Order: sequence, then structure tokens, then C-alpha cells
Amino acid sequence: MKRIPRRDKLKIYGDLLSALSSGAENEKIVLTRVQVQVNVPFDRLKSYVSELKDLGLVQDETSPRLTEKGEQFLREYRKVLEFMIRMGLTY
Amino acid sequence: MVDTTLARIIVEVVSAIICFILVRFMIKPYWLTRESRYLGLPLGFGFLGASYVLSGLAFSQPYYSLTVLSWLQLLVRTFAFVFLATTYYFSKKPSKSTRLLWDTTLSLLAVALFTLILLLFNASQSSLENYDNAQVYIRVFNVFCLFYVAIHTLRSHIRKPDPATIWIPLGFILLGISQYSLLFFYIDRSLAAFTGALVIRLMALAVFLSVSYRTFYGPEKKMDT
Repeated sequence: MKRIPRRDKLKIYGDLLSALSSGAENEKIVLTRVQVQVNVPFDRLKSYVSELKDLGLVQDETSPRLTEKGEQFLREYRKVLEFMIRMGLTY
Repeated sequence: MVDTTLARIIVEVVSAIICFILVRFMIKPYWLTRESRYLGLPLGFGFLGASYVLSGLAFSQPYYSLTVLSWLQLLVRTFAFVFLATTYYFSKKPSKSTRLLWDTTLSLLAVALFTLILLLFNASQSSLENYDNAQVYIRVFNVFCLFYVAIHTLRSHIRKPDPATIWIPLGFILLGISQYSLLFFYIDRSLAAFTGALVIRLMALAVFLSVSYRTFYGPEKKMDT
């Protein structure tokens, strides 16, 4: 069986922010749906969302939406990820 | 003859400028992740740029092949390629132990480089005269480093084929051919090999610059998470 590589915190943050930004503007964000997308246990997901709120990347913990800073971080994160893929480096 | 020297100095300056612009792009993964394994690329391209500056300075000296500068540029360029090769070698296995090994390797390489530079400044004139012979072996080593990186990036491209990922292996192959072409020049003094090496090097650096620019300033691509 192929072993799934462990993700570090930054990768989980990136995946989480991507999942939070993928919904429509007026759509309510359901954490259990986000949990399936990000593939982390629910208690850990809640602590990650809380950490993201402390960092100013999401607005509130119950139905988290990305702040301007969060959107900017996600854009930069995607570009860096794309750059590393193009450079032939794994992350 | 003066024109050839001037042309060479201009090529070295342009190459150095491109390398330093590349460092600005290559440092971004490190700024975001703060992981030392992403320091290899900016260090590699930074040292490569520094080696081109030294090369340009060396060409402006009257006795090019005998100066400390020519040794210095060769040494710094070799370390640049070693930094790039080790970055790709360690990028394969991102585990805790390999991260420690990478940190140790990075520190050892930095210590080795500074020790060699110190030794160079204390070396006698007679030992510096071995430059012509030594540079052939060192450049063969450089070609091996570059082709290792090219194969590594090519394998990444084959694993996940995407038109955007073919350019970087091409850039490293061109850089390797440029070093290989310089080898010919130092063996048989062929002007075609020398001019070819400089042109191919500029092409390689242009490829890296284009890929970096398009990634950070081009249209955003939807990523799979």
C-alpha cells in the first residue's frame, strides 16, 4: 500500500484556506464539509480555524470566511506552490 | 581583442543581473515556509550571480588566467552548482532526519567554501598557476552536478506531465551544455565553443527568468488542493 506523505502545518493551512475560499459568496460555510475536503479530524480542524483567526486570516470560527489578509496569503501560497512544482521541487 | 573582452564583461554583468533577479523569486518559498531546505535555490543562484560578477572583474584584469579572481569565480560557481544539486537531492525525502541532514550539509558547504576562499588568498603564486589544468576537472564536476539536477527535474516532469514544468529541466540542460562548451574552449581554444557557451548560458538564464516571472506575475492558475 502506498504511504500518504504527512502534511506539515503550512500545507494544512493552505488546504484549509483553499477549502474555505472555494464556496460561493453568500453560501454558509459548513465546517463538516470543510473537514471532508481538508481531511483532518473535526477537533483538529476547529483548532486550526482558531489559529487562522488569531493570525487574522479568517473572520470568525463558526462560519469562517477569508479576510483580505487571508485572501492575499492564499494567493501568495498558491503562487509559491506553483513555482515549486515548476522548479521540480516537492512540497 | 578589446571588443571581445568588453563583450565578455557585458555578458557576465547581464548574467549576474538575471541571477540576482532570480534570487528574489527563489527566496519566496523560504519566506513563506521558513524551511531551510528552500534556501538551496536562492543560495545557488546567488553564488552563481556572484561568480559572474567575479568573472567580469577577472576579465577586466590584465593577466586573467593567473589572478586570484579567476580561481575565486571558479570556486564560487562550483559551489553554486553544488548548492543546486544538494537542494534537489534533499527535496526528494522531506522527513525530520533528512531536514537535519540538509541543515548539516548546508552548514558544511558554507564552511568548506569560506575555508577554500581563505586558503586561496594564502596560496602561493606557483600553485595558482595550475588554474588551467584544475578548471577542466572542476568544470567536468560542474557538468555532472547540472545534469543531476536536469535529470531530477525531468523525472518530476515525467511523473506529472505539464507543459509548464518542461522549461526548468531545459534550463538546467542548457546551463550544463554551456559548461560543457566552455570545457571545449579551454581544451582547444575554439572561439565557436566559447561564444556558444555564453549564448547558451544567457538562454538558460532567460528560461529561468521567464518561468519565475510567469509564475508570480502571470495569470493565476486554479490549483488542486
